[in-house]
Amino acid sequence: MTLRRIVLVASREARAERGQPDGLVAAMAFVAALILVESIAVGPIAASQPAVAAALYWIAMAFAAIQATSRSFDRELEDDALDAILALPGGRDALYGGKLLALTTILAIVALVGGALSLVLLSIDIALPGHLALVTIVGVLALPPVIVLDVALALRLRARAALVPILALPVLVPQLVAATNGSAAAVSGDAAGAIGWAGLLIAFALVYSVLGLTIVPTALE
Amino acid sequence: MINTAVTTSSAVRLRPILGAASLIALFVAVWMGLLWSPPDAGMGNVVRILYVHVANAWLAYLAFVIVFLASVAYLWTKRPVFDAIAVASAEIGVLFTGLTLVLGSIWARPTWGVWWSWEPRVLTTAVMFAMYVGYLLLRNLSDDLERRATRAAVLGIVLVVDVPIVHLSVTWMNALHQLPSVLRPDLSPTLDPSMLASLVAMTIAFTLLYGYLMATRVDIEQRRNARIMAERA
Repeated sequence: MTLRRIVLVASREARAERGQPDGLVAAMAFVAALILVESIAVGPIAASQPAVAAALYWIAMAFAAIQATSRSFDRELEDDALDAILALPGGRDALYGGKLLALTTILAIVALVGGALSLVLLSIDIALPGHLALVTIVGVLALPPVIVLDVALALRLRARAALVPILALPVLVPQLVAATNGSAAAVSGDAAGAIGWAGLLIAFALVYSVLGLTIVPTALE
Repeated sequence: MINTAVTTSSAVRLRPILGAASLIALFVAVWMGLLWSPPDAGMGNVVRILYVHVANAWLAYLAFVIVFLASVAYLWTKRPVFDAIAVASAEIGVLFTGLTLVLGSIWARPTWGVWWSWEPRVLTTAVMFAMYVGYLLLRNLSDDLERRATRAAVLGIVLVVDVPIVHLSVTWMNALHQLPSVLRPDLSPTLDPSMLASLVAMTIAFTLLYGYLMATRVDIEQRRNARIMAERA
């Protein structure tokens, strides 16, 4: 029953994005701009090193995810839809899961665009494309649980735009380290390293998803 | 509505005893650490910083685990005293985590040759410090007492995931920082008995100090909440 409600909230989010894709477009533009600016700032030679390129990519992804999630909740507040969802039977429980599912989907699209841009701009040769895809997929699964949780906690608070990165980024450090090292390992041809870091990302995705689904509904207002 | 009635709890009544006990224990621990225990064969007298550094780190762990337990208890019971315990423990934890970083830095300069090293234990401790500063920030940006308590409780539960990461970081990743000397997986401390005794004495003294600070801060928080509610009534 709750799963059906989660899918309902996520599909509602997808319909809103299809009608007015400002969250997705903004996240894609943001990730592209950030990768470009970061690469210019460190220089093309340094930026094309596997570890540096991976770090720039995942930092950009983290900020894009924060932005897309904040936009998603902003839209609910602007439309006064949040109160209606929370008032529905089971709406409170489904909101975190639905937003998580929707943001993961958006982030997967952003990851694809941002990844292609990084590879083209920095002329990176991938030694293990399958492993890189695996790390990227589990990295995309590992970021949203923390970010949706923090955006939900900071909902309707003053200075929310500043508060969410302050809350989310320290918690995301292990995920960013794992995603960066896993991606760099896949690009450099270290299969065991890539698999190991992917495993850690799965563990973090599971821990924070379970925590979020269990306790975030109580904090939603 | 949140109940903020202030009662004289047993912790508050124990406060003078905790204060006196922590003062005596600190005096004994300082004497043991500075005069009684011998200098280290390798580090010399620099080892004495570790007695305070490790006791600080222990308090940081303890404080954040208490934040977690109080947060669970608050969400379970909705009793405001647990929220007061959580915020008191978080503030003390942030203070002692900051001191852990500063003392670690002072110890690292003569030992490692640098004030700051980008090694896992130092980094994870700094991240833990940043997390709980965020926790306090979240609390301060929220005006409604009940909502603030609920949000903070959720975050207090989530953030505890970092505590074992900090402790086990030196085991998981090869680094400059030495492996745990006391809280080891095989429960067999690697310290010389006199150094271990000094460390244990300092840890007991700091734990008593934590108890005293907690009793005081919880009382202040409960009184503050009661005043806010009275002003709004």
